[in-house]
Formats: sequence, C-alpha cells, structure tokens
Amino acid sequence: MSIITVKNLKKHFQVHKKEPGLLGSVKSLVKRKYETVRAVDNISFNINEGELVGFIGPNGAGKTTTLKCLSGLLYPTSGSVSVLNYTPWDRKPEFQKQFALVMGQKNQLWWDLPAMETFILNKEIYEVPDEKFKKTLTELTRLLEVEDILEVQVRKLSLGQRMKCELIAALLHTPKVLFLDEPTIGLDVVMQKKMRDFIKEYNRRYKSTIILTSHYMGDVKELCERVVVIDKGKIVFDGKLEEIIKKFADHKLISVVLAKEIDPKKLEEVAEVKEFDYPRVMISVKRKDVSAVTAKILDKLPVADLNIEEPSIEEIIRELFTGKNYA
Amino acid sequence: MKRLFENCLRARIMRKYLQVIRITFQEYFVYRLNFIFWRLRAFIQLLVLYFLWLAVIPQGTTIFGYDQAKILTYILGTSIIRSFILSSRSVDVAGEVSSGVLSNFLLKPINYLGRWLAKDIPDKILNLFFSIIGVSLILIFLRPPIIIQNNPLIIFLTIITIILGMILFFYLSFSLSLSAFWTPENVWPPRFLAMIIIEFLAGSLFPLDILPAGVFKTLKLLPFTYLLFFPLNVYLGKLTLQEIFIGIFISLFWILVFWQLAKALFRLGVKSYVAWGR
Amino acid sequence: MKVFKKYLKVWLKLTALAFSIDLSNRFTAIFAITGKVIRFLFFLGFLFLLVGRTETLAGYDLYQVVFFFLTFNLIDILIQFFLRGVYYFRGLIVSGDFDLVLVKPINPLFRSLFQRTDAYDFLTFIALIVYMIIFIATGNLVITPLGVILYLVLIISSFILGLAFHIGFLAFGILTTEIENIVWIYRDLSSMGRIPIDVYREPLRTFLTVVVPVAVIVTFPAKALMGLLSWQWVVFSLVMSGLFLFVSLRFWKYALTQYSSASS
Repeated sequence: MSIITVKNLKKHFQVHKKEPGLLGSVKSLVKRKYETVRAVDNISFNINEGELVGFIGPNGAGKTTTLKCLSGLLYPTSGSVSVLNYTPWDRKPEFQKQFALVMGQKNQLWWDLPAMETFILNKEIYEVPDEKFKKTLTELTRLLEVEDILEVQVRKLSLGQRMKCELIAALLHTPKVLFLDEPTIGLDVVMQKKMRDFIKEYNRRYKSTIILTSHYMGDVKELCERVVVIDKGKIVFDGKLEEIIKKFADHKLISVVLAKEIDPKKLEEVAEVKEFDYPRVMISVKRKDVSAVTAKILDKLPVADLNIEEPSIEEIIRELFTGKNYA
Repeated sequence: MKRLFENCLRARIMRKYLQVIRITFQEYFVYRLNFIFWRLRAFIQLLVLYFLWLAVIPQGTTIFGYDQAKILTYILGTSIIRSFILSSRSVDVAGEVSSGVLSNFLLKPINYLGRWLAKDIPDKILNLFFSIIGVSLILIFLRPPIIIQNNPLIIFLTIITIILGMILFFYLSFSLSLSAFWTPENVWPPRFLAMIIIEFLAGSLFPLDILPAGVFKTLKLLPFTYLLFFPLNVYLGKLTLQEIFIGIFISLFWILVFWQLAKALFRLGVKSYVAWGR
Repeated sequence: MKVFKKYLKVWLKLTALAFSIDLSNRFTAIFAITGKVIRFLFFLGFLFLLVGRTETLAGYDLYQVVFFFLTFNLIDILIQFFLRGVYYFRGLIVSGDFDLVLVKPINPLFRSLFQRTDAYDFLTFIALIVYMIIFIATGNLVITPLGVILYLVLIISSFILGLAFHIGFLAFGILTTEIENIVWIYRDLSSMGRIPIDVYREPLRTFLTVVVPVAVIVTFPAKALMGLLSWQWVVFSLVMSGLFLFVSLRFWKYALTQYSSASS
C-alpha cells in the first residue's frame, strides 16, 4: 500500500523580471513582465511504507519544491498528492502530527535558548505524552550522542551539533513520514557519515518512510536503494540505484598505466582518450567495443597495468544533467 | 610654488571626505523606503504636537507668555531644526564598534571623527529637505499664524546657534555611541533611554520656559537646552543680545566638554578594543 | 475544550521561553523599561503642566484629559504584552524558518502573534493599573458602574481591533516582507490618541475614527467610562472590531496561499 501517492503534480511560479537600473525600476512599476517557472512539471510516483527514497537532481531541479508540496507548504498548480491518506495542503493537525520536515539550512530551534527548551515546546505542540517523550528523547540523544549539549545555548553549538538537535526536535513525535531536505549540507565528512548512519538506523528501527533530497551522491549511495532523479521539474529516472548505471552508462572506462613514454598521437590512434597524465591514461570506450579496444591497447602500447571500470555514479548523473542520455 | 602644493594637498584631503558624502547619499537611495517611512513618522508626531498646542492656546489667548503664533512657530520651527540637529549617523558608530568593522577604519588614513562628520552631512540635508516638505504641507493646508523674523542680525545669530547645536549634538551622540566599546552586545538601550531624556529636555514637546522658574534656571545650565529651545528662542526674538551671548558661551562650553569626552572615550575605547584583538 | 487547553499550554510555554530570553537580556530590559516609564512620566507631567494651567482642553477638564492618556497607555501595553511576536515575524519569513512553523500542528497565525509575550510589560501593566485606580479614586472623575462595565467591554473590543490590525500586518509581511515600517506608522498614528481626538480637525478626525480607528481604540472606552459615549457609538465600536477582525483573518488566509517560501 503506498503511503505517498503523487499524480501529475505541477507547481508553476510566476516570477516577474525586472530590468536593471533606474529605468528598469520605473518600467516594472508600470508594466510587469511575468515569466512562468515550471518548478515541478507533471511528476508522478508512489512510495510505500518504510521505503528510504533519494531525490537527486541539480540545483533548481524541483526536489525541494516537491518536498514542500508533500509537506503542505505549497499549493500545487495542479495534480494530486496523498500522504498517509491526507491532502497535505489542507494542513490538518492530525496529518501534521504524523510527519516531520527537516531542512538543512532552516532552523526551528530557538537561537538564544538550549535545545531542550525547543524540545519541550514541540512536545506541547505535537501533544506527545510525557512517558513517550522521555523515552524517545533518551533514545534519540543516545543515538546521536548529544546528551551533554542539550542544556547549551543553540547559538553556541557547532553546525554539526545543531543539525543533530534539529533532527531530534523533528523526531520527538516519532513521525511516520520524514522529509529531509539537504540534511548534510555544510557538514564535515565525519559528521555526514554520522548523519547517514543515523538516518539508516532510524529507518530500520522505526520503519518510517523517508524521502531525502540531496546533491551529495554520498548520501544517496549509502542510504537509498531507490532513487528518483529529477531535472527541470520532470522525473528522469525512478528505480534502483544500480539500474541507473546499466541504463545510462553506455560506456566503460579503461585506465591504463604506461610502461614508458610515448608520442600522444599514437594514443589517439588507438582509442578515445579522456585524460592523459603520464603515466596514467583514461580511455572511454563504448560497452560493446571494450574487448576490441582492450586488445588494441595491449597490442599497440607499452602497458604496465590495465583496468576496466564502470563510470562512477557521480559521473553518470553529471552527464545526465548536462543534457545527454535521457534514453 | 609651495602654496600651490599645499592647495593640492588640501584638495586631496577634501576629496576623501567628499567621497564619504557621496557614498552615504547613495546608501540612502538603497534604503529610501525606510527613510521615507522615517520621515512619515516624524510628520505624524509633528501633527500630534501641532493640534495639541492649537487646542491649548486658541486664537487670541496668551498662555505661559506664548500666543498662538509664537507657539506654533516654536513647534514648527523645532520640528524643522530637530530634523537635522538631532539626527546623526553616529548611531552607526556603535554598530561598527560591536561588529568589529571599526578595525578597517583604524587602519585607514582618515580621521574617524571626521569621517562621521562627513557622513552626517547627507543625512542632515535629506532630513531637512523632507522636514521642510512636511511643514510646508501644514502651512499650506492648515494656515497657522506664524512669526517670520526679519531682523537680519537675529537671523544671523539664529543660524550661529543652530550650527552650534548641530556640533554639540554631534559630539554628544558620538560619546553616547562609544558606549559600544564597553557593551557591544546591547547598543540600542542606552541610546533609546538617552534620546528620550535629551529630546524632552531640549524642548521638543514644549518651550522650556513654561516650566517653573527654578527648574528652567537649572535647565539653562545643561547642554540640552541649546539643541532646540535656545535657537528657536533666539529666532522668536525673545532674548536680549546679552542673553544670546551668554547662551552661545554656554553652548561653546558644552561643545568643548563633549568634544574632549568623545576624544577621550575613543582613545580609551580603541585601547581596550585593540587589546581584545578584534 | 481540549483544543483550548492545548493552546493555553503552548502559549504558556512560549511565554516562558520568551521570558527566559528576556531575563538573560536584563541590561536591555532595564533601559527599555526605564525609557518607557520616563517617557510616560514626562508626557504625564507635561499634561499636568499644560491643562493644569488652561483648565480645559477641547472641552475636557484635567482629570479627563489625563484619563484619556492613561487609557491609551493601558491599551498600548496590553497589545505590546501579547503581540510583541509581530516584531519577530519578518525574521521568520526572510530566513525561511516560517516553513518550519507552517508544518506544525499549531495554527501559524497564533504562533506568529503570540510567540514573544513581553513579560516585562506585565510589570508596567500592573503599575499602570495601580496608578489608574489611585487616580480614579482620588481624582474628580465622575464615573458610574455602567461606565465601568462599558469601559471593560470596550477595552476588550479595542484589543480585538488592535489584534485585527496586527493580523493584517502579518499578512502584509508575508506578501511583501515589509512589516517593520508599517507597524511603526500604526503605532505613531495610535499615539495620536494620547490626547482626546476632539482636538484634531476634520478630515483628520474622521480618518482617525474610520480608517485607522485610533478614536475607537483609545477615546471610546475612556469616553464610555465618563458616561460620554452614546450607545450607538458603543455598538459601532463592537461592530467595527468584529468586522475588522473578520477581514483581517480573511486577509491572512489569502496571504498564506500566496506564500511561496524562501527558496533553498
């Protein structure tokens, strides 16, 4: 049974363009040129309970806008959305008590007070019973290792500590659905790993449905089996992560280490060179040509080492977004 | 030849301050909405006072030594001159100190106080301009009886006292802002309180001579009187030449006091500021 | 009933949080309160000085004039006490943190209005009430029991009117993020109610009765206490409060639909 159903969702924004300078300002007072930005342009998908889905896409692709529609922040231009059998933008309290939204750069913690105070406030807002609150709080603080900073003013915490507390604040009411928008942005490598581990553990332990948007491939690789790729408001791919490679990478990479110096022109004769930094050579080869080209390389060039690799997911996605391969 | 060289040098120094003036004007265009609202608020406050005094001293009566023309002239007059006497960008000094931006300026070869004086000029000009518009509206639509001074000596002396008032407030306000060296987190509360007291004692609500004699005598020794009340009193022709000169003398005294205070505070403040390694 | 209890609990918690912050800003608070008190005393003294001498102002005697001023302060403090949250709203919108307010199961309007109760204003409120009681008891004000009841009713009505305006400001803030200036203009216009509005000439007086109803907010309750307000005007005041409140709530609902939320 899908917990989240999105059908033909469209969200268009009317943005007015203003010419620079004084003349532009005056002109914009009289006649405004409006442009339609199709932030979300007819997307549909279903998500089942307990899934951990990653939304990836370049900046401005529409991932955050989609999340905002799912959490009821925005009214869609058209289409339907159902989350836990509620229409999000009705903003019914019963619905709001069952999901949580965490946005990487936005805060709900009161800046001048210890995080604990915001937790208690949320307890009242979400009407969490005392016992449950205590239990959940203890579990979460243990998982995130923040027991000793709860009484410290939020403004004095580091970004990583703050993000952890923001997460706790969002999870105190044990939501069934969790929307995470760029949760690891700005965090250092160690912190990112800790966050990912936590999210994975949370999903496993509480069986909550999680949608995560990120433009860090690391987040997606580690956490999401299923991935939805969005670009320019449209879904480009929706399925397992491994499938992306199979579907979109029509080439493989051959990395060669040369035994001795050669004339670069000779390299060109053999294959299409992607990178050449003596003694390493990176060659891009269509899948079907791999054997043939490999043979040619071993034959014509002084090879010390040779490796056949899959292109990285990052690279595939990058190529996806720069306009190729929307097969 | 030497004279020419000196002139060029002075011109270069002048140019520095002219740049500050120019940039401040530009800043105002960016914050024009805020500024217009600020002037609108001042206008509304003027209306309250105007109507209040109009009702207190109806046509034909004289109270506290003021007839309607005198009091309305006083109120409108103080409104105009306070727009540029009691305004100062030196409010921002506190901001620069507490944010650490001050460091940039300590390194530059421009006198800090001088720079603020230059910043004040566009602020005062704009405030004066809008204040005159506001008062003109009142003159046109409400037609109050007012007193126009036509004694050139009096006009001249009024201008002198106004200029002295400006300088006095500049140093006063600057000294106040320097409290930021010692309380960087909370800059506006002392200023808020101080301005309430200053505005009241300067005579913005009412002419100070309606107060009981003893109180008024004391006030005449304080600096605040010379910001608004004294210049207007000179304009209204209510003072003898001797009284005017005594007043100017007291103004100069207070200017000296606050000038030295500002310099001393600045020196002390910079010392502790630098010590903290901002 | 359950909903009411929940909102009460949330309001109490919000107030406790606001007070914690205010408490740690003691320095600011002392200056702010002292400033307000001094400003009050100055103007009060000014009125005593003025009307003490002229005996009447626009037909009112000294005690009546002072009472108008006291009523103005009463309503001003009440509104400031409850609705200080309005001054923090712009920050919420500009930073986008308002999103995180919207997704919570608590009315975002309630949260935005009442999130920063000014506990210090409670002190000044008590002080003012005490002074007003003393003033009425020792002054020459002629009051009747009916007057007192009408006064209390109209004070509540005035608060609702003020509330309606603040809701409007919030809605305006969502649409334009320009909220500071408009609130201050409103406060300056309200301050025209420090003195009986009969002082003002037309068309200003009508403006202050209908458009920015300072007259209704401040002058009417005071007049009612003194038995000077006809029942038609009482009804007018109540109807106006209800009407403005209704319109402002509609405006707020509309603004929410237009909220596009700061982009990430």
